Amino acid sequence: MIGKERVLDILKNVISLSNADQTEALFMGDESHLTGFANNYIHRNVGGKDCSLSVRVAIGKNVGSAMVNSFSEEVVKKVVHDAILIAKNQRENLDFVSFAKPEQRKDRDFFVEATANCTPELRAEYVSKILSKTKAKGFIGSGKFETNALEVGVANSLGVERYTKLTISTLKSVVLTDTSSGYSEYSSVDVNKIPLDDIIRESVKVAEKSQNPVSIEPGKYEVILTPYALAELIGSLCYIALNARAMNEGMSFLIGQIGKKVLGESITMLDDGLSQETISLPFDFEGVPKKKVMFFDKGVAKGVVYDTLTAYKEGKKSTGHSLPQPNPYSPYPMNLIMEGGESSREKMISHVEKGLYVQRFWYTNPMDPRNTVITGMTRDGLFLIENGKITKPVKNMRFVESIATALNNVLELSKERKIIYDMASVTVPYARIKDFTFTGKTEF
Amino acid sequence: MQEIVESALFAAKKAGASYVDIRSIQREEEDITTKNGAVDAIKRTSSKGFGVRVIANGGWGFSSSFIATPEEGERVANEAVQIALASSKTKLEDAKMSDFKVHQDRVPQPVKIDPFEVPVTKKIMILLEADKAMNVQGIIVRKSSMHFSKEWKTFASSEGAYIEQERIVSGAGISVVATDGKEMQVRSYPGSFGGDYQRKGFEFVEELDLVSHGKEIAEQSIKLLSAKQCPSGTMDIVLGGSQMALQIHESVGHPTELDRVLGEEASFAGTSFLTADKLGTFRYGSDIMNITADATIPEALGGFAYDDEGVKAKRVYLVKDGIFVGYLNSRETAAKLGLEVMGAMRADNWNKMPIIRMTSINLEPGDKTFDELIKGVDHGILMETNKSWSIDQNRLNFQFGTEIGWEIKNGKIQEMVKNPTYTGITYEFWRKCDGIANKDFWHVWGVPNCGKGEPIQVMQVSHGTAPARFRDIKVGVLK
Repeated sequence: MIGKERVLDILKNVISLSNADQTEALFMGDESHLTGFANNYIHRNVGGKDCSLSVRVAIGKNVGSAMVNSFSEEVVKKVVHDAILIAKNQRENLDFVSFAKPEQRKDRDFFVEATANCTPELRAEYVSKILSKTKAKGFIGSGKFETNALEVGVANSLGVERYTKLTISTLKSVVLTDTSSGYSEYSSVDVNKIPLDDIIRESVKVAEKSQNPVSIEPGKYEVILTPYALAELIGSLCYIALNARAMNEGMSFLIGQIGKKVLGESITMLDDGLSQETISLPFDFEGVPKKKVMFFDKGVAKGVVYDTLTAYKEGKKSTGHSLPQPNPYSPYPMNLIMEGGESSREKMISHVEKGLYVQRFWYTNPMDPRNTVITGMTRDGLFLIENGKITKPVKNMRFVESIATALNNVLELSKERKIIYDMASVTVPYARIKDFTFTGKTEF
Repeated sequence: MQEIVESALFAAKKAGASYVDIRSIQREEEDITTKNGAVDAIKRTSSKGFGVRVIANGGWGFSSSFIATPEEGERVANEAVQIALASSKTKLEDAKMSDFKVHQDRVPQPVKIDPFEVPVTKKIMILLEADKAMNVQGIIVRKSSMHFSKEWKTFASSEGAYIEQERIVSGAGISVVATDGKEMQVRSYPGSFGGDYQRKGFEFVEELDLVSHGKEIAEQSIKLLSAKQCPSGTMDIVLGGSQMALQIHESVGHPTELDRVLGEEASFAGTSFLTADKLGTFRYGSDIMNITADATIPEALGGFAYDDEGVKAKRVYLVKDGIFVGYLNSRETAAKLGLEVMGAMRADNWNKMPIIRMTSINLEPGDKTFDELIKGVDHGILMETNKSWSIDQNRLNFQFGTEIGWEIKNGKIQEMVKNPTYTGITYEFWRKCDGIANKDFWHVWGVPNCGKGEPIQVMQVSHGTAPARFRDIKVGVLK
């Protein structure tokens, strides 16, 4: 971490060295540490620091970019030179209008010193507590404890100048028995807010209760999805539907549907990078402040996210959802929040006559993005619910389901929600969904 | 570099490390993409840095930095030892590595045409010509891309290894999206997700001849919109080469990784059904199934001269005559099972600790022609080019979808079908393999995006394969 003053100096230097029509500079620095554990001991324990300086220039509609992981004067001159040379050899991109224009807003950091300064010894201490529990039970502990500190600065020749710091800590526990596994995970900007005891309790309990699973036949089942499982489905929607690129490329199921009711009445979903219920940068990688974007309001499709290029193309304003450019996945919702309901996990279970409780989905992949059809496996805890009670663990199963159909079949949502962070943040409740389709099963 | 190596090795040993290695990489990359007749992005990236891996008090530690100075080498080495000592607080036994022959070597990679010497304008011209060839009515997205990288890697260890090796990679591909307003269909050449990649120079892009395949994939994607749905049921399938590559990747490559088998990836990637008791006895597939891990294939994306522990590249069998006979391993995991180390430890960059990765995992050629594979099918589907993939964390239940398929009836390829999918249990599926095309149909496919590990690492691997036939497979499971 080199700090705001130094980062902005580097960015301003880039801009002063460029004679292109427009110049944009993005600096990202990180110090990351991850303590990985498996087989009841720490087996992979890593740390390091890196940075990147990306320069994008526009000469007319010719855009070129170059990136380097250094910021010495000599290297900065070369990266500016390279970007300009590329732009000069470029052909016109007719969709390009401009880099981002400055917008006034005071940014706030999501940065906690305790996370940035977390030591290998402290991470080992947390992990030891998990492992002492798994060893006492005769189980096997695995997982990771990750603490990262990032700093991001963006400036351009139009007057954009932004800097922020962010910390993220994630503790994940996957507990194995001879015949089952259990899972729990929590992410926070503040390492001191990681609920270690809750994570141990949940992962050990699920592993314990899911021992000796039985095999059941695939088919349609009512399901209760934990936030981990629901986040896997909603996270896919971010890629295949909720962004301007998916709309432009014919992939999104929202094409021609904005303003229409496409999901169930209980579904309200938005992207809000300023919410307390997410982990976020206050602006995107073009320096545009994050805007609140409503995707679904009581099931009615409202909109998608934009970066500068896709916004100009449609005569709109960027919503502040650019990834580091150029990027084939941009724009992207980084802070999806789904509103909860009035129910609870326990109430939902009591309302199921026959169904499945899904702790987690795994290896999901869109099969038919236009119809939001996705497949994947259950993992780390699958249970049969009969007459309002969890009765037995079940061997893992494959599902094939349309996410839109599932979100039309929601029967209940919990008040409780969880932030699931995996490069992007998805905040979701528990959900009870009818007629969820399982098509296959596996041996464990 | 020599100064940093010496500084890091000395500092780590002084701080108490019983083993140290240091690996530095300097890498240049160039990515060019065009979309719908215009250049979408051109990006040049250069990065350099080093990572230090140590064992101290029996625990592992790794630290890295982008600041390439002897002073930083010393700081990073000390941090790696501090991290290793923290690891050792939970150790059940001291980390141990198998013995091997230590090497000093310098291995440049000769190419016919250095891709970084080819003007950007020429690359753009090829991509836009391919784009033009794909410009058929009904296509809404046309994409073309090229990727080039060149790296110089230095590896040194406290055991006396000092290896420098060069790696040059070229890759390219084209794809289209067609829509009728209700559904979308995609087609790609030569494979999906960026095309094909090899450790070659710009000559590889020229060999791919993107331009002359543009019209064909565009027309196929349009035709797919009105094609009939792939039928459902149990039937024979013939998989084209690029789909076979992914089938091998997911259902043979990953389950044979010994770190997964030993539970070291349980937190993320998962474990494996190929437990140690199965080694040498388990029937993985039919008698004609022979799988090698071969890092020595000169142009294969998964190949190299030495892995990231300094082990010289090898060719070993993973499956021989249908029987499971070998794992992908590391010095540490090989020692745990008393196996010979085969050299599969790789890191995707200087800032990552090596983990067990695929090299080039190949299905050895069979004895049939492609026509003979088709002729042997009364009713089935020919499937080509991966569209979707999913497999459970023990690598048993898989499901794949492909971009395109054709019905096979009475030994002849018939009507095109859309949205083909098939599913199965890994070993049951491979036991049903009764035909593999011969070496004339064999190609090493580059897979540049294999994700594994925490922190996640994206590795370049490859799969040599020819089309193959499987009997009585569950087909058409798309809802």
